Amino acid sequence: MSDASRGAASGGADDSPATRPLRERVARRLRGRLLTALAVVTSAVLVAAFYYPVGTVLIEAVVVDGVATLAVFAELLRDPFYFGELARLFAGESPLAVARALLGPDRRLGIVGFTAYQAALSTVASVALGLPAAYLLARFEFPGRRTLRSLTIVPFVLPSIMVAVGFVATFGANGTLNRVLGALGLPPVDLMFTLQAIVIAHAFYNAPLVARVTTAAWESVDASAVETARSLGAGPVRAFFDVVAPQVYPAVLTGAALTFVFTFGTFPIVLALGGFELATVEVFVYRLVRDLNYAEAAALAIVELLISLGVLLAYLRYEARNAVSSRGVRPLPRKSLLPSTPTARELLPRAGLAVYAAVAALLFLAPLASMVLASVTGGDGALTLDHYRFLLDRQRTGAAFQVRPWPAIRNSLAFASASTLLALPMGVVVAVLTTRRYRGRKLVDAAAMAPLAVSGIIVGLGLLRGLVFGVEIAGWRFAATGAAAIVVAHAVAGYPFVVRTVAPGLEGLDRSLIESARALGASRARVIRDVELPLVWPGVVAGAAFAFAISIGEFTATVVLATGADAYTMPVAIERFIGRRLGPATAMGVVLLVVTGLSFVVIERLGGETRGL
Amino acid sequence: MGSERGADSTDAAGDSDGAPSDDPPAVELDGVTKRYGDAAAVDDVSLAVREGEFFTLVGPSGCGKTTTLRLIAGFEEPTTGTVRFSGESVAGVPPEDRDVGVVFQNYALFPHMTVGENVGYGLNFADPPEGTSRDERVAELLELVDLPDAADRDPESLSGGQRQRVAMARALAPGPDLLLLDEPMSALDAQLRERLRVQVRRIQSELGITTVYVTHDQEEALAISDRVAVMRDGRPEQIAPPRTVYREPSSRFVAEFVGDNNVFAGRVVDVEGGEAGDEDASRTVGVDVGGEVLRVEADEGVVSGDRLAFCVRPEYLRIGEGENRVRATVASAEFLGETTRVTLDWGGRDLVVRTRDPLSGEVVVGFDPEDAHVIDGDEA
Repeated sequence: MSDASRGAASGGADDSPATRPLRERVARRLRGRLLTALAVVTSAVLVAAFYYPVGTVLIEAVVVDGVATLAVFAELLRDPFYFGELARLFAGESPLAVARALLGPDRRLGIVGFTAYQAALSTVASVALGLPAAYLLARFEFPGRRTLRSLTIVPFVLPSIMVAVGFVATFGANGTLNRVLGALGLPPVDLMFTLQAIVIAHAFYNAPLVARVTTAAWESVDASAVETARSLGAGPVRAFFDVVAPQVYPAVLTGAALTFVFTFGTFPIVLALGGFELATVEVFVYRLVRDLNYAEAAALAIVELLISLGVLLAYLRYEARNAVSSRGVRPLPRKSLLPSTPTARELLPRAGLAVYAAVAALLFLAPLASMVLASVTGGDGALTLDHYRFLLDRQRTGAAFQVRPWPAIRNSLAFASASTLLALPMGVVVAVLTTRRYRGRKLVDAAAMAPLAVSGIIVGLGLLRGLVFGVEIAGWRFAATGAAAIVVAHAVAGYPFVVRTVAPGLEGLDRSLIESARALGASRARVIRDVELPLVWPGVVAGAAFAFAISIGEFTATVVLATGADAYTMPVAIERFIGRRLGPATAMGVVLLVVTGLSFVVIERLGGETRGL
Repeated sequence: MGSERGADSTDAAGDSDGAPSDDPPAVELDGVTKRYGDAAAVDDVSLAVREGEFFTLVGPSGCGKTTTLRLIAGFEEPTTGTVRFSGESVAGVPPEDRDVGVVFQNYALFPHMTVGENVGYGLNFADPPEGTSRDERVAELLELVDLPDAADRDPESLSGGQRQRVAMARALAPGPDLLLLDEPMSALDAQLRERLRVQVRRIQSELGITTVYVTHDQEEALAISDRVAVMRDGRPEQIAPPRTVYREPSSRFVAEFVGDNNVFAGRVVDVEGGEAGDEDASRTVGVDVGGEVLRVEADEGVVSGDRLAFCVRPEYLRIGEGENRVRATVASAEFLGETTRVTLDWGGRDLVVRTRDPLSGEVVVGFDPEDAHVIDGDEA
């Protein structure tokens, strides 16, 4: 029979289902459950480190002295301090009167209104600053374009407190800007503690984000679509508005929506550049927490969360209705930066880009350059290493209650490594789970991504009161150390980025690759190891870099949890210096910059070597 | 590849062409339905693939052929019905435990592995034949598909045809019981496709492996298969050897999908010869098609007044000859090399003929009653 060759080929085993040994069936069952087990562990970590602690805090807003009540909310909504003129609306005044007051010259916005206002301004500034960059990156070819494109991710992962130090060094009373103005014989400007400084700092963060998503969309516009429009009679401008713009516009909106949400929940930038005078909601939540006013802090955090989620939800609904899914088979050709002919149509856009490049270079390089410069400049303006010497002295002679540099560096690196190791498997498991097709997938996705939307202050507070102070379960008392809580908080903050870098790769994987491997005998879990992970490995490495960077730069939850003397990190150290002495803060900022940069190189190297393992 | 394989294949061929044996079919679908929401991609399909057979599912896109293949592979589970391998239900058995080899349209070679690693991947989960090392097995398979030196190459560096052959080698390496091919050649150009299908068929008969092949290309289906299932809207319309499907299509859909065809429909106006009971005598009936009475052979069930559809292949329509003759004018002609495919206009109907000589103007075209095939069960 023909079975002879095939039987031999399959090892001669009789594999009909009926005679398959029980052991093998059991093994198959277990293999099928491995992913389930990992998912359970991930959920457990999320519940313990996020849902439970956050839940306990939020409950305080609605349960006062053991009684459920909305009184805290009602009070909050009617307080003009928070809601400005809108509070009168909640208090029952006529909408007309409120509208008139809002249009009036001395309207009050309240903290929530101000937060939304500065977020809107920041969004406008970020889009205005991001779009020309997208135009440059998507439509022009020049040396270093790829590098510049990958650099757009950098501001996003820069420790925010370091950026704040950079901005203080640039725009402060003795900052670079005023030195330059002074040298030119112009009067100094004081941008510190102004709305402008906050908006510029937010643009620094978010314009690259806008540029990034817009560039990606622009690059996926199919050139033949534009060519078709041109051949049908549309001029270049018309073709742009009819074909390119509709495909790019949703990406701009994505960038804008994310920018709004990020800047609405902003904390370190405003704390450092605005102080409590220009407090946003998150800063005020922090202040309430410091004042031990937990109920009001929780209620305010819920309001913040609802507004952020509302914006995100509105955006997602829009996106679902207007999704343009065209994969550019052939992207638009890039133009040279050198004009081919000296006509206005060739010269004008390039001239515009040149002006933009100057402004952008100033905005993005000035803060970091100023920080480095300030760290080696003494009070008299001369070059000095005093600030670094101060750090060394502090390390040698500092008292136990004082912030010393080495423990900060050591803690930052240890927390970042540990939280990356925790965030990676969590992120990969969630990425696998959210790219499968099944009922309830969206719910899983939302539950897993929730940490992105919740105030870091509340996460920190929940962990502090829930885990660090201890929790009693069935007569046993569990308590985590501050360090452990920080690691967990960082992992929870970082793993959504692992999901976001890994999931698109998994989603884009050709399903027949997975099916081929399965038909060849690999179990579902084995396919993840042999096929899916190696192919999305660059995404995993990027995710690790993200998780590490998020942890190293994380300030919000850390500052709440690092109340003890020994769990502070570099960002916390910078914040403690910044209030008193800018010099050591900038020196510490430079140390943070160097450590972060080196870590990135290490992660890249490690990832590169183990690629395709 | 030793001579013993060749000998095996003769046996296998003998088996599959012979009378149905008592052995259960290699693959059997029993009332299988696959629904996605409200739509049934596969609708109550029952079919059996014999041991060693080259069985092809052919049909237009959306007919359910690929879903049927995926149900056999275990990538999908039926909504209702049962899939059996050699008489045993495989319900709940995951693809990795079904001992099937699958080749996809896009080949799905693992881009992060060399050609050799691709071919050897399945040997992680199944031992190579006794006395053969893993490397030998990989070399053997690459030899089989005529790529003996490709083991260290990167899949990206191969041409489409080479990738297709590597995918084939990879699927066969663990020695599957069943080979499933999902449009494995549709991404290749026509000439290469013809060469490769000869090779695929050769390998299949050498190994004698039961094969289910999915294609939308009816010509390919006729050329390569032992039996063909022509599918439409989630069900097979006809399951038969290629010759039967071509000569005796069971429905108007099959008649028109497989090859060029001229389909006529009309009312039976008179019945002649072979009166009731006389089974052997050829019995012709006159069918009124658009006012012209055409005579075709038909079985005794047909009586005057019935509606009847029949088809005549272009190669049986002859110029100026045949018992049934009609006048038509040349509408268009396509020069195909050996012959010219001419479309004629006969009172608003298209007739397709194949000729060697150029045609123009008005022509008389005819066919004999025995060259018409009455389509069963046509409700036209």
